[in-house]
Amino acid sequence: MFDLRLIRAEALKLRKRHGMVALAIALTAGAAVLVFTVTAVQHASDPGKYRPAGGLANYRDAVEFLILMILVVGAIVGSTAGAADLESGVFRDLAATGRSRIALFGSRIPGAWTIVLPIAAGAGAIAAVASVALAGSLAAPSAGAVIAGTFALLLAGALGSALAVGLAALFGSRGPVIATLLAVELAISPILATLTFLGSARQVLPGQALDRIAQISLHSVPIALPVAMLVIVGWMAAAFGVGAWRTKTQEI
Amino acid sequence: MCLERDAPSLLPMNSTTHTGEDSLAIHTQGLGKRFGARAALESIDLEVPRGCAFGFIGPNGAGKTTLIRLLLGLAEPTSGKMRLLGHDLPGDRAAALARVGAIIEEPRFSHHLTGRENLQVHAAARDRSASGRIEPSLDRVGLLPRADDKVKTYSLGMRQRLGLARCLLADPELLMLDEPMNGLDPAGILDLRHLIRELVDEGRTVLLSSHLLDEVQKICDMAAIVDKGRVVVEGSIHELLNGGTRAIDIACDRHAEASGLLAAVRGVARAAEWEDQLRVTLTPEAPVDREIVTELLRRLLDGGVAVERVAPVTASLEERFLTMTTPLEDRV
Repeated sequence: MFDLRLIRAEALKLRKRHGMVALAIALTAGAAVLVFTVTAVQHASDPGKYRPAGGLANYRDAVEFLILMILVVGAIVGSTAGAADLESGVFRDLAATGRSRIALFGSRIPGAWTIVLPIAAGAGAIAAVASVALAGSLAAPSAGAVIAGTFALLLAGALGSALAVGLAALFGSRGPVIATLLAVELAISPILATLTFLGSARQVLPGQALDRIAQISLHSVPIALPVAMLVIVGWMAAAFGVGAWRTKTQEI
Repeated sequence: MCLERDAPSLLPMNSTTHTGEDSLAIHTQGLGKRFGARAALESIDLEVPRGCAFGFIGPNGAGKTTLIRLLLGLAEPTSGKMRLLGHDLPGDRAAALARVGAIIEEPRFSHHLTGRENLQVHAAARDRSASGRIEPSLDRVGLLPRADDKVKTYSLGMRQRLGLARCLLADPELLMLDEPMNGLDPAGILDLRHLIRELVDEGRTVLLSSHLLDEVQKICDMAAIVDKGRVVVEGSIHELLNGGTRAIDIACDRHAEASGLLAAVRGVARAAEWEDQLRVTLTPEAPVDREIVTELLRRLLDGGVAVERVAPVTASLEERFLTMTTPLEDRV
């Protein structure tokens, strides 16, 4: 189901989209550099008014922000991996080789990961280094906090990409997928998380699970760590299942 | 287009002797495909022998592309059976398509990749040996000098050639080419014609779907004419051309008198004025050309009619096609 040659081919197709890769880096690593630079300059110009740019609290804020941005990047890269061949008509020629359509689809998610996960790791590294280096009088993030934050960023990249690839296979085009995922991740999911009458049902929101893994408790939906992990894995499995089913059954 | 006639061939094909049903590259029986109430294919019975160029011709909407999509497993038939290179479809699809190269309508590519990178992507979906055929394939279609340019800078003709190179990655026993002449200039068409014949000479089978009947007549050994989702005739090009009504054109004077003389000859169905000469339509029982022409001349000369020229009418595939398919005004 996961063929390394197909995954490398998928990675090549994505890597060569220089504009998309540049945008993904700008939205994550670039944004992290910008935020830490601005706050560091502010602190240097007026330490009495502005806190140090680093420290644990700022690290958690940065991770929370980066989770959102990496979900956005995952939506862009994943929808491209999932729909570009369908939109261009290349998928028809690939399917005509007799190669299993599930194998062709199965290469798209890891292919997207080859772009998104290094970017997520890089952005996480920038946030961690800056938070420690610029902590000043504040408590620097511990190794455990950095590991949890980095792990959450990687999971956000993996989840965002997988959801986008699955939905893109379903819709057959990038635009609706990106719009849907941005709406869910940036607007609908945060609103649902604040609706207390939903109770523990909010645990299935992927954003809440990611916050739990990153040790961020902004909306305070109590979730056990194993449950949070299961929620992420469940969403990825669902995305794979939907995309694989659609890819296998559609006429092209 | 500049195809290298003496370019090194791709890996030699396995020369297995095929017998019985396996001697057919494509075999369909009662193959049908419906889209709701509309039948794209009613019932296609087709036998394409191995090692020939086979034309598949029909008017727009006759079902040519649909048949190719069914054979490639891109759509499911609603009835009938298919067999490709000795393998049943769809059950043995992977083995059947491993040695099949295809261009379906216009070949599609990732335009942000180079020609070579597009072939690398496609080779990844083939067996491991396909990667080793990228260079010879590009060379064979004359694209090696532009292999590292992005496909978005290619002309339509170059994309057609890249599509052919992509087909060759499979070292194909069977090529299915759907309108491969689209976008090619006259020199490109000529080169493609030679390339297809070279591929056939190497023992490969080429299924050529085209609306360019003249090209099919020049390239193919056999053809099938499809209309309204059915094969209306199938056979060698020679058989198809000679399967219509025979006629002889005679340039002479005194047309009215000559018509009367010729109509009385045994084997003549009718003789009528046609484009400043007489066209003599023969019955199916008419003797061979040498005998009937001699008899027609004798009657005319005996009747005092001066004859300038006698020429049997050579039927074209286009004429046969038009007599066997639904006229444009009757198509729904």
